Amino acid sequence: MGRQTKKEKLEKKLEMNYEKKHKRRFKMTWKDLIFEIINHSFFFIFTLACIFPFYYIFINTVSDNDLVRKGAINFIPQGFHIKNYLALANVNDLITSLTVTVSRTLIGTVLMVAVSGFVGYLVTKKEMWGRKIWYRFIVVTMYFNAGLIPWYINMSMLGLTDNFLAYIIPGIVAPYNIILVKTYIESIPAELEESAQIDGASYMKVFRTIIWPLSKPILATIAIFGAVGNWNSFTDSLILMPNAPQLHTLQHKLYSYLNAATNLKGVMSSGGSSVSGSALNNILNAKTIKYTISMVTIIPILLVYPFMQRYFEKGIMLGAVKG
Amino acid sequence: MKVEKVTSKLYFIQRISILIGVILLFIPAINPSRISGLIGKNLSIFTSGFFYSRLTQNFGRAFSKGWVGTMTTQILFISSMIVCIGFIICAAGGCLSPGCLKMKRHGNILSIIGTITALIGAYGIRWAQIDIKGTSNPDKVQPMESNSLLIFAVLAILILLTSILLFILLPKPDKNEKYEMETKYKLFLLILPFLILCFVFSYLPLFGWRYAFFDYKAGDNISMDNFVGFKWFTYLFENKATRADIVRVLKNTLAMSGLGLATSWCAMAFAIFLCEIKNLRIRRFIQTITTIPNFISWVLVFAVAFAIFSTDGFLSSILIQMGVIDNGVNYLMSNNHMWLKMLAWGMWKGLGWSAIIYVAAISGIDQQLYEAATVDGAGRFQRMWHITVPSLLPTFLVLLVMAVAGILSNGMDQYLVFENSYNTDTVMVLDLYVYKLGINNGKIPLATVVGMAKSIISIILLFGANKVSKMIRGNSII
Repeated sequence: MGRQTKKEKLEKKLEMNYEKKHKRRFKMTWKDLIFEIINHSFFFIFTLACIFPFYYIFINTVSDNDLVRKGAINFIPQGFHIKNYLALANVNDLITSLTVTVSRTLIGTVLMVAVSGFVGYLVTKKEMWGRKIWYRFIVVTMYFNAGLIPWYINMSMLGLTDNFLAYIIPGIVAPYNIILVKTYIESIPAELEESAQIDGASYMKVFRTIIWPLSKPILATIAIFGAVGNWNSFTDSLILMPNAPQLHTLQHKLYSYLNAATNLKGVMSSGGSSVSGSALNNILNAKTIKYTISMVTIIPILLVYPFMQRYFEKGIMLGAVKG
Repeated sequence: MKVEKVTSKLYFIQRISILIGVILLFIPAINPSRISGLIGKNLSIFTSGFFYSRLTQNFGRAFSKGWVGTMTTQILFISSMIVCIGFIICAAGGCLSPGCLKMKRHGNILSIIGTITALIGAYGIRWAQIDIKGTSNPDKVQPMESNSLLIFAVLAILILLTSILLFILLPKPDKNEKYEMETKYKLFLLILPFLILCFVFSYLPLFGWRYAFFDYKAGDNISMDNFVGFKWFTYLFENKATRADIVRVLKNTLAMSGLGLATSWCAMAFAIFLCEIKNLRIRRFIQTITTIPNFISWVLVFAVAFAIFSTDGFLSSILIQMGVIDNGVNYLMSNNHMWLKMLAWGMWKGLGWSAIIYVAAISGIDQQLYEAATVDGAGRFQRMWHITVPSLLPTFLVLLVMAVAGILSNGMDQYLVFENSYNTDTVMVLDLYVYKLGINNGKIPLATVVGMAKSIISIILLFGANKVSKMIRGNSII
């Protein structure tokens, strides 16, 4: 693995050197220059538009709260402090919904990946009774949808309203991911598996010792997509948990905070904190608390994203060549 | 030969009954343990057998006033659990039936044990049923008797009889015979649990389409009394208010999807111009940053919009500092150009991401084509137009066709978070309308009708799109 990345780096370096040399030889006309400037500035502005809001929210959460209230913090942070983040412990139910979101992300993703891997392996087995029918039975569900209301009634019939399991169980069988895994496993040389089967290994053993380790790249890809999806989930919490505020996901909580009244009382629990209401108002205000909660919700994705980008890209490419 | 035919028929009956029995465990309409009106309508026998607190949710007063003894509910709870366990044992027995003779024999023994267990449980439920009839306050407790217990009993007896017959008919296996099953059935049994999950969450909801034909309110039961046929379908068009709603909603939906389609070339243009940036590091950086918004939820996009455009957000404070306005303006609370604004947010979120696929396609184009074109004197834009665009066109067309198939499905997240009392008329799309109608206003049949129509039209469009894609590039997208 290490060697490969080294090789890749070397290739990149060579490519870049080549381009540098090329550029020196390449004569730039004024037309090209204008194009380069316009092109670069367009992308500069678009990139800025993509990143600036996050930066803006961030500096407003760590700057002096009085200045933030006045709207003075627009580009440069002033009066650095992290009180806002510490104050989140007093925000109603925030810790519970964080726990709910984190646990559903972990449990849901692990189960989804394990099942996608296993089912993806099983549907490659031509000797299975009715394999084609069962594979289609799963895949077809991607293309039709009974609609929101029948789905909701079905969930409530199954007792999955106001129930944490509603976050986990429906996501276990993910047809699209099963297709991706199946396609990947089919590309693994069959000899590897056959040799193990000749040695008398069972299907489970072959899956555990050969298929699972070999398909790690695709499993990582679907894991990341699954985790992001779980982290971002909002509709299921909104629709299925009307009477269980302790089960609301972080996104749902953020949504209700953003729409809540502008006074702090709507957001903060007054009983638990040792500071009185007015004193609290001096250090914090509703705006910064809203920003801070937004930041807490965004940060995991911002942190994970740059490292996982190649997996994300692999995901979209796999989706494109699927067939 | 004859015995084999009989056993295969018996096995068919046994397996079907076990399958039905196990499915019925999860259907609230057929819940034998619903012996009183106090027990929720949404409880299946499985829920009432494994979650005592849900079973006795509404019994607080009945317990404290002594109308119902805790003993009764406890027995009911345990009996329901026993029935469930019994059917699960039967299911295990049924799963063994494709195996060798020894497995078949053990499977039948299991089925016999399971059915006897289930019958014991059924007797317990019957006891609770009779017991609750003797309540001191029948008006409040509403004792009930349903045929569902009979259904379960009949199923159990059917399974019991077939298992006993099979046990007798099948020859005795060798003592030394190993536990073996044909691989094809073994593999099927391994995948079976996931097929069931898939069925429960993707196929079972289709059964809910029946609500479109009934006069149903949340909490009611469906029966022939409130069957209304196609009333809701005609109501949709005959009632002036709903007709106006539908027209408006369809206009919004089609307008926003249409704008999305009309600008779908932007991702391709984005990719082409991005590839004109020759510095790999800068290009990589731009790609990384511009794809981030795709991975945050619409709620977070709204949080971003809130930070920038709300009363005390970035835009207001900048404009105040510049002296353009005196007081902060909440730009989110307006109804101007909502369609374009929604399009802009969609672009902000998705443009970088949708460009990735084109970037990959561009890197696959043969560089010699460009070199040859340059030698022939083609300029930058000519190369783009005559080489890059044609090579991206198949990908573009397929994505476009897919987008056409999804023209009615804008999703509801985006419009839900951006909707407020000012702009509700212009952002209400079909998905959001169904949500508001069904979940918020409780008009379940009407919302089901709308959703149903949408699903059917969407699937027709999808098949159409598939046909078109077959014509364009020779392979299907489904």
